[in-house]
Amino acid sequence: MNDLLILLIKASVIYGGLLGTAALMTLAERKFSAWMQYRIGPNRVGPFGLLQPLADGVKFIFKEEVVPDGANPWLFRMAPMMAAVPAMLTVAVVPFAGGDIVLFGQNFGQLSITDLDIGVLFMLAIGGLGVYGVILGGWSSNSKYSLLGGLRASAQMISYELSLILVVLSIVAMSGTLDLRGIVAEQTGTWLLLPAWNVFQQPLAFVLFVIATFAETNRHPFDFAECEPELVGGFHTEYSSMKFALFFLGEYCAMVVMACLTTVLFLGGPEVPYWADAPWFLQLVAFMVKAGIFLFLFIWVRWTLPRFRFDQLMHLGWKVFLPLALANLFLTGLLVSF
Amino acid sequence: MANLLFYLMATLATVCAIGVVVARSPVVSVVSLLGSFASLAIIYLLAGYQFLAAVQILVYGGAVMVLFLFTIMLLNLGDPAVIHGESEPLFHHSRRTLLGLGVAAAVGAAGLIAILRVAWSAMPQPAELPEGGLDPLDQLAASMFTHYSLAFEAASVLLLATAVGVLVLAKRNRRPTAEVFPRESQQPATPSSPPTSTPSAGAQGQEVAEEGVLS
Repeated sequence: MNDLLILLIKASVIYGGLLGTAALMTLAERKFSAWMQYRIGPNRVGPFGLLQPLADGVKFIFKEEVVPDGANPWLFRMAPMMAAVPAMLTVAVVPFAGGDIVLFGQNFGQLSITDLDIGVLFMLAIGGLGVYGVILGGWSSNSKYSLLGGLRASAQMISYELSLILVVLSIVAMSGTLDLRGIVAEQTGTWLLLPAWNVFQQPLAFVLFVIATFAETNRHPFDFAECEPELVGGFHTEYSSMKFALFFLGEYCAMVVMACLTTVLFLGGPEVPYWADAPWFLQLVAFMVKAGIFLFLFIWVRWTLPRFRFDQLMHLGWKVFLPLALANLFLTGLLVSF
Repeated sequence: MANLLFYLMATLATVCAIGVVVARSPVVSVVSLLGSFASLAIIYLLAGYQFLAAVQILVYGGAVMVLFLFTIMLLNLGDPAVIHGESEPLFHHSRRTLLGLGVAAAVGAAGLIAILRVAWSAMPQPAELPEGGLDPLDQLAASMFTHYSLAFEAASVLLLATAVGVLVLAKRNRRPTAEVFPRESQQPATPSSPPTSTPSAGAQGQEVAEEGVLS
């Protein structure tokens, strides 16, 4: 089999997995929120309501598309795509399992679409473009609620992306590489009887990173771009039909990607604890379990915590997170050089 | 394949660059500029500069353009035809338009002549790209922090001076007004207790300056 075919197979599998996970996340969100509020949740479509995302998708497709008066027609149609595409692109560099995959006597190479030397930079750069969907969607809708949502999203992204990148820099400084596989390799083995994961070696960075991730993906308690009680849905107030669904697809894909990135940077990626050369399918399972914990955390936090106020968000970002991230980077630098 | 991609991206970059100038609405200009930057990043990738491409997207695409959009939206610089209710022609004075077109044609002709005079046979053949691109990170970092460390530090000091300058300019015209937004309303301010929190007139200017560092 030639390389292009193998690449196509791997890309289809990984993207299928990403979109399937994102679809299941919408169901999981509704199920978990129902359980936390002593309800049952969707259970009519398929066994345990498992086919609910499909039913939702079909319903979205058959809804009427509305483009409001005075909206910029091109940007209004482009914004949902710009929200969904960057989140999907970033999954290309995630290493889901180490070791070569041999199936049916055919070596498929390692389980990731591509390995870049600058994988971390790629993820941050492309992932940072997702905010354009929110901003442009908010602006082009010609509605004051949407505009406010877009404005908040842009201010919030800039504030938190800075801390996020500084935190990632301290991880990069520890492992000395921007390659995601290199960062995973650096976390193998044990450290004080624990697995040598960065979550134990860099606890402050881990906490900062997870919280900044919530702000980056516009999730509760930082979802000021949507903010139903005051902005009636924020940037997607005017959107309907599949365009609305694309925004949500983008948001859930971004959550999945961020969970993968957290796993790779802090939880040793696909490494099975205390078993460095586990077979690839066990590593894949380990990766999915670790990423699943973070996906659950996203839902758990959303249905537990109240929303911040916007000035509190800015205060937290610039006056707490930025100094802490800088201090962490400084300490890491000292640690690495001495 | 690579050639086709290059011509596609070069065309896209040019079309987007024209779009920046021609677009009526500033937001459309920013989006065009973003498209131009993205196409340029892909051209860098084709030329073997991975790090440059990533930084181009990260800095210009992720930070600078978002700031532009933020400012435009904050100042509500929409389409003039929509805001003022009149549609102005794109080119006002025909003489100036002609002059501009003439200068553009002259520059274009000069460039074309320069390209045509190149001896194509003497050009070096495209070499095979090394693994990891032409700018591997370790070499880049090594040269930046050893050989060029003075220039690097000087540039950072320059950026710091710019940030401080922005802060000074932003704070100069600001009268010390009463606090509009309470910073942290932990305790409700009662008339009997004196206000404890200091006026935070500079807080916003500081944010602007810090964002200036980013760009």
